[in-house]
Amino acid sequence: MLARPLKYARPASVAEATALLRSHPGARPLAGGQSIVNVLKLRAAEVDALIDISRLEELRTIAATPDGGLELGAGVRYVELASAPLVRERLPIVADVADGLVDVQVRNRGTLGGNICLNDPTSNFPPLLVALGATIRIAGAGAERRSVPAGDFFVGPYRCALEPGELVHSVVLAPLGGDEGVGYQTLQLARDSWALARAAVWLRRDGDAIADARVVLGCLGPRPARQGAIEAALLGGGGGEASVSAAVAAPLEGIDAVGDSHASPEYRVEMARVYAKRAIHQALAQTEAPA
Amino acid sequence: MNDPETTHLVEVQINGERYERAVQARELLVHFIRDTLALKGTHIGCDTGNCGACTVLVDGQPMKSCMMLAVQADGLSLETVESLSPAGEELSDLQKAFNDQHAVQCGWCTPGMLMQAKALLERDPDPDVETIRRTLKGNICRCTGYVNIVRAVQQAAGQDVSAGIQQEARA
Ligand SMILES: Cc1cc2nc3c(=O)[nH]c(=O)nc-3n(C[C@H](O)[C@H](O)[C@H](O)COP(=O)(O)OP(=O)(O)OC[C@H]3O[C@@H](n4cnc5c(N)ncnc54)[C@H](O)[C@@H]3O)c2cc1C
Ligand code: FES
Ligand code: FES
Repeated sequence: MLARPLKYARPASVAEATALLRSHPGARPLAGGQSIVNVLKLRAAEVDALIDISRLEELRTIAATPDGGLELGAGVRYVELASAPLVRERLPIVADVADGLVDVQVRNRGTLGGNICLNDPTSNFPPLLVALGATIRIAGAGAERRSVPAGDFFVGPYRCALEPGELVHSVVLAPLGGDEGVGYQTLQLARDSWALARAAVWLRRDGDAIADARVVLGCLGPRPARQGAIEAALLGGGGGEASVSAAVAAPLEGIDAVGDSHASPEYRVEMARVYAKRAIHQALAQTEAPA
Repeated sequence: MNDPETTHLVEVQINGERYERAVQARELLVHFIRDTLALKGTHIGCDTGNCGACTVLVDGQPMKSCMMLAVQADGLSLETVESLSPAGEELSDLQKAFNDQHAVQCGWCTPGMLMQAKALLERDPDPDVETIRRTLKGNICRCTGYVNIVRAVQQAAGQDVSAGIQQEARA
């Protein structure tokens, strides 16, 4: 279907883009377009104008932070995340997740910023960024910037903590220490395909014991869901098979699973526990072996 | 700073030719290619970004032209299926391979498959079967069952496909 009549602008800077968004309340940013173009065709949202941010060099940088982490511009495309040596070296999980998104064509256009701003329950990056404890840097008026922890950024389905006129500028990721590990496991229809249940895990080991953990489930509710009870059950444990199995049996939080032709809600929740367990073992395997 | 406008003048390079046209902001790139420029080789299958029939190369990279606005192609260089063998000339090796391997039935997916395959072979002139299959994931074919398409890409890469389908299935 044809979209409603629409206006378009391609500003030359982030400051111009946020100014246009402020002065045109019906305007929305256009990044890779791999979601919003379909929204326009379906006439599913009232969009009067698109502000094309996809060519803004300020948003397209992959930078090393002094602490050994990464700052990833919102406009960096999946294909670029997947192939950047710096991302591979510092946080290979980010490159792997980008490389497993949808298909070649979507990877050639879709952006990190678009992925997290859409925040569909099945979106690949939101649970990972919550597990990694990422910081979302937001551009406001002029040179104004503010930061929001990923855990607070994802508000609900298709909603995030942006105020009108704001843009996601970049995603800041802390480095992974040798005693830390990350796991990301998805039940999906096929490789690179639609997800039915997803778990993302970050943890830190101190000697024999798990000292800190973030366990996040995706696809099962309005936003990536931190699992406080699973995390609490892991702490102090050695990460053995029996203790991890017991931990993932803890009561789940923030879950409101819906079923479809692929899987019932009950099946998704059951599988989420299985994939959480696998993600925990994946993360543990990356931590330094206890002395 | 330019305010948002409904109509834009775009300049694109398509198959080596320069086009300058006024477009509506809401116009999809695939409609611009097919209807405005009358390059009908590029197909529309699903119009939802799922099937890949509309795949064209944008600055050498495969993208779905139903998931881009025409105005987003401003200043860029595009290749469509027509570029593979200009009218009146012989088919390219890639097209011949599709023909030889019976990789075309109804032909709806073919323009997208060809452009995806062309980009793959430019990146990776000797891809393994797994790479070919994974690369074609964003191109749906409802006729062939894909085996012949994979073999056509192998033939175009100069690989030996004489061993036949059964052998490939066993490998
Ligand atoms: C067939 C198909 C299957 C898909 N399957 C999956 C999947 O399994 N998993 C998955 O994660 N994704 C999937 N996607 C979506 C894809 O990853 C999109 O690329 C992504 O959701 C949006 O990124 P984009 O850059 O294309 O953003 P756009 O479509 O341009 O924008 C998406 C939204 O974010 C806003 N936005 C974009 N950038 C910013 C910014 N910097 N600041 C503020 N707002 C911004 C836009 O205004 C819009 O509301 C699929 C897409 C297709 C076509
Ligand atoms: S018509 Fe564009 S992906 Fe199907
Ligand atoms: S040949 Fe008919 S869809 Fe591929």
